[in-house]
Order: sequence, then structure tokens, then C-alpha cells
Amino acid sequence: MSSVPASTASVKSARAAARRRGHDPRWLPYALVAPAVAYLLGITLYPFIYALYKSFYQSSFTMPGMDTFVGLGNYASLFRDGDFLASVVNTVIISGSSVLAEFVLALGLAALVYRDPWVKGWRMIFLAPMLFMPSAVSFMWKLLFVPGASVVNDLMGHTGVLPDALNWVGNPALARLSLVVADVWEWTPFLFLIFVGALQAQNSDLEEAAKVDGARSWQVFWQVSLPLLRPIIAIALVLRGIDAVTMFTKVYVMTQGAPAGNTETVSYFIYRVGFNQFDAGTAAAASVLVLIVTIGVAQYAVSRYFRPAME
Amino acid sequence: MASSRRMAQHSSRIGRYLLLACWAFFCLLPIVWLVTISLRGRTETMVNPPIYWPHFTLDAWRDTFDNWPMWAYLRNTFIAAIGSVLIDLLLAIPAAYSLARFQYRGRDQIGFYILSTRMIVPAAVALPIYILFKNLHLLDNPAALMLIYAAINLSIVTWVIRSYMIEVPREIEEAARVDGARSIGILMRVTLPLSISGVVTASILALIFAVNEFLFTLLISYTDRAQTLSVGLAMFTGGSKGIIYNDIAVVALVTFVPMFILTLLIQRHLSRGLTMGALKN
Repeated sequence: MSSVPASTASVKSARAAARRRGHDPRWLPYALVAPAVAYLLGITLYPFIYALYKSFYQSSFTMPGMDTFVGLGNYASLFRDGDFLASVVNTVIISGSSVLAEFVLALGLAALVYRDPWVKGWRMIFLAPMLFMPSAVSFMWKLLFVPGASVVNDLMGHTGVLPDALNWVGNPALARLSLVVADVWEWTPFLFLIFVGALQAQNSDLEEAAKVDGARSWQVFWQVSLPLLRPIIAIALVLRGIDAVTMFTKVYVMTQGAPAGNTETVSYFIYRVGFNQFDAGTAAAASVLVLIVTIGVAQYAVSRYFRPAME
Repeated sequence: MASSRRMAQHSSRIGRYLLLACWAFFCLLPIVWLVTISLRGRTETMVNPPIYWPHFTLDAWRDTFDNWPMWAYLRNTFIAAIGSVLIDLLLAIPAAYSLARFQYRGRDQIGFYILSTRMIVPAAVALPIYILFKNLHLLDNPAALMLIYAAINLSIVTWVIRSYMIEVPREIEEAARVDGARSIGILMRVTLPLSISGVVTASILALIFAVNEFLFTLLISYTDRAQTLSVGLAMFTGGSKGIIYNDIAVVALVTFVPMFILTLLIQRHLSRGLTMGALKN
């Protein structure tokens, strides 16, 4: 709502006015925000510095105090590590296809219902998957895809969509697809809710005017409503994209990275190397790389998309 | 001419409802399946071909509470989630007020720093956080989960409350100021009561996210002293018996009901909460 005034003169007069009105000491706003910032710095800056420090050592969980300095050795071996590079590729493929499918479906569904008389009813039905615990969702889809007794295979066989029973977890492409299907089921509601809310909040006068001019409803949506939605779409995709890239629970429960590491995401790689193989140095180096990339992306996303939408 | 246009509208409405029905089917089918899983015996869970109409029994509902430390899971979930929301409110309300009502050097940078913590990859901080809580002797302790959930949700709670505080008319605050009130008094007596729907929305969202958290809970809790429902159900893998899906289905449904009720309470504000206040209602 209010941004910092451009010229120092207006800053000074604003400050003077504020002092006249409320007699607030100048440090008050800092004091109010400081505890929250301190808490977050403790829980974000500390891990970053610790991971940075550990990433220069060969270090094991099982033998504390036996660290050896290796410089950038952990990073160098990470870039030669087929598993790590594969996990980056897997993350891009799995989260990319999930978010793309969720975006298209959510936007389509929102466009279909937002002027519907029963929009509230549709919304309650469509949001249901989001209300189950992620771990429960993962187990549920694991059961639906379970080899030999897959309900998905059985239903598809009966309806003739696919005649052969598919081995979902045994086939690399299908194992990835099973994660994507579960993610689409669980999180399409997230984008759908945001898009419906944004579309409903829009002033309907523009749409009416376009309709009077003879435009079809899909033309009205495409040419009038959608462009106005662009900032909200950007924010929603940033938030959903970040969560999709950090996918862990589904991999842990549904595939554990199988088959042959084809569903191992970066999050699962760090977990496996750090907590199953106790290789703290390598896990720390991977963490630092991931943090640098995501902090860069977050800074960009915040300044590019959140800032204009907030003011 | 006019009637052909009406017919086109009519058929487009049928097509629309057909598409929506397809999605509703995809949405609800797994949930219906989950319900039937919770109502059948274990021998009817993993058979080929699947049994669509089982012999209905409430065994799984009874077994889940008899065989697993469900009350401990519920207690831990409750303590950690509620406690984390209280910490968040304590930190976020003054921070949101500061960001919404004052102009000062660095305000936007501070606000965007808080927002950017929402975008950290949890797995990338998992190792140091684990070591930190190990050194604090807080492993396998609900208090540790409370502190972590609070940190995860602090950004969203702050930003949602901020977006509601900004919309409190300045004139009302000014009136209180003329009557001699200071900023803290205005926050407590005027701004906070007027932005209460933002506080409730943020609290409920934070509560849901806390109950759902999996990765950190898995890492720093390993017995029923601290394990929550979210991670507890991953323990239902009874060795030779394989994964006990019937009991997992029970836990999934038990937690679905309160989540659904909480979501109903903030239904109107949900889109705004999920976009961290970027969307006005």
C-alpha cells in the first residue's frame, strides 16, 4: 500500500509528522520486527554457515571429530557423481511435469466453474485431496499402484484404456509418472483455489462489456480475464514450483528413488547420502549448492513477482 | 438464430458439467477407495484382482487404536502444532504491524527477507538442523518439533496478517492516536481486533502445515515420545506383515475430518492465505 517516498525531503517530513502524531521512538518499528527476524536468521543463517563449513571437510556422522579438510573436494566429486547429476535431472523432470499439468488443469477447472451457480460446491469437492496428510496421500497412491494388485491397472484394464497390466514401480518412466499423478491429485487444488479466488475477485463489468460486444465466453476468458490474472498466476506458480522441487515425502514413501535411482530427487539424494550413508561432507556440499540456487531463485521471484503485487 | 445460440449455450453447459464430473471422479475415487480400505480385513487389501465390495468390518478402526500408540501420536501432534502456532503469533503480530504501519529504512528488505524464508529447500537445511537439535539435547522431543514448525510457518503467518493490517483504515488508528494512545496500545485495541480474520486464517493454515510436516519430523523424532501422526503412520510397516494399509487409511481419515472443519472455517479467506496475502478478497 505505502512505499518508501522517493525523495529524502518527503521522508523527513513523513518522519516529523509521525513523531508529532504518535511520539513513537524511532527504534520502535525495528524492535517490533526484530524478534521474528532473529528467529528466522537463527534457523536459516545458522544451517547455511554450518553446511558451508562442513562441506569443506570429509566428515562422517558415525565418527565425530574425525573430520579431514578437503577444500573443494566434496564439490568436485559431486559434479563427477552420476547419482547427484541424475537427481538434478529427475527433480527437473518430475517437478516440471507436475507443475505444468497442475497449472493447465487448475486454470481450466477454474475457468469452468468461477461463474457457475454451484461454485462453492465444486470448490469443496475439488479441494478435498489437499486436506489429507502428505504422508497418507503417498501411502494411498503407493497402494493404488502396488505391483500385482494395482487398482489403477485393474480399472484401466476393465475400461480398455490400457489392456496390459503396467509395472508402475519397475519401469523408470512409469515410476516417475506415478509420482507426478500423485502430486497432481494432491496439489492441483492449491492452484485451483487461488485461480478461482482471483477470478471471482475480478470486476465482472469488463467481461459483461466484452459479451455485449459479441465475444464468446472462452474468448472473454482468454482475452479479458486471463491477462488480469497474470500477477496472481506468477505468484501461485512460484509457491507451487518451490514446493514441487522440494518433493520428499512422496519419494520416501512411494519409490525410495527406485528403480535404479530414476525417481531420486535432490531432496532425497541429500537425505540418503547424509542420513543413510552418514556422509555428512557430501550431503553438506549438496545442501550448499541447493541453497545457493534456491536463494537466488527466491530473491529473483520475490523482487520480480511479489513486489509489484504487494504495492 | 436466437434459438440456435441458446442451443449452443445449452450443449456447452452439458460439456462443461461433463468435464467437471470427470475431475470430481478422479478427485474422489481414491478417497472412496481409502474409506473402503479402512472398512475391510487385512486379507482383502492386497489381492489380485482388487476386491471392490469387501466384507465390511470395523476391525481396522479398533486395531489402529489398540496396536499403535495413537494417543501418543495425537498428543505429540497437538502439542507441537498448537505450540508452534502460538510462537508464530507472538513473533508475527508485532512484525506484521511494523511492516504494515511504519515507514523506515530497510523495511521492504526485512519484509522480503521474511518472505524468502518460505522458499528454502527443507532437505538442504535438514543436516545442520539435525545437528543443532542434537547439540541442544532436543532430539525426540515435541518441543523441537514446535520450534521447527514455528520457523517453517513464520513467513506465511507474518505476511497474511500484514496484508489484513494494511487494510485497517488509517483514520480509525488516527482517531485513537488523537485520544492519546501509543502505538502498542493502538495495535492491541484497534488494529489487531480489526484484522482478526487475518490472524485466524494465518493460524489455521499454520496449524494444517504443522500437522502435515514430514521430513523434519522423521529426522528428529524416532519414538512415540515425539512422533506425530504424519510420521507415525509411516511406522505401520509391521515387518513380515508388510505395510498395514488398513490402519494407515484409518489415520488418514481421522486427520481428514478436523482438517476439513478447519478449512470450512476459513473458506472465504483461503485463496488469500495460500498466496500469502497477495490476493485481496
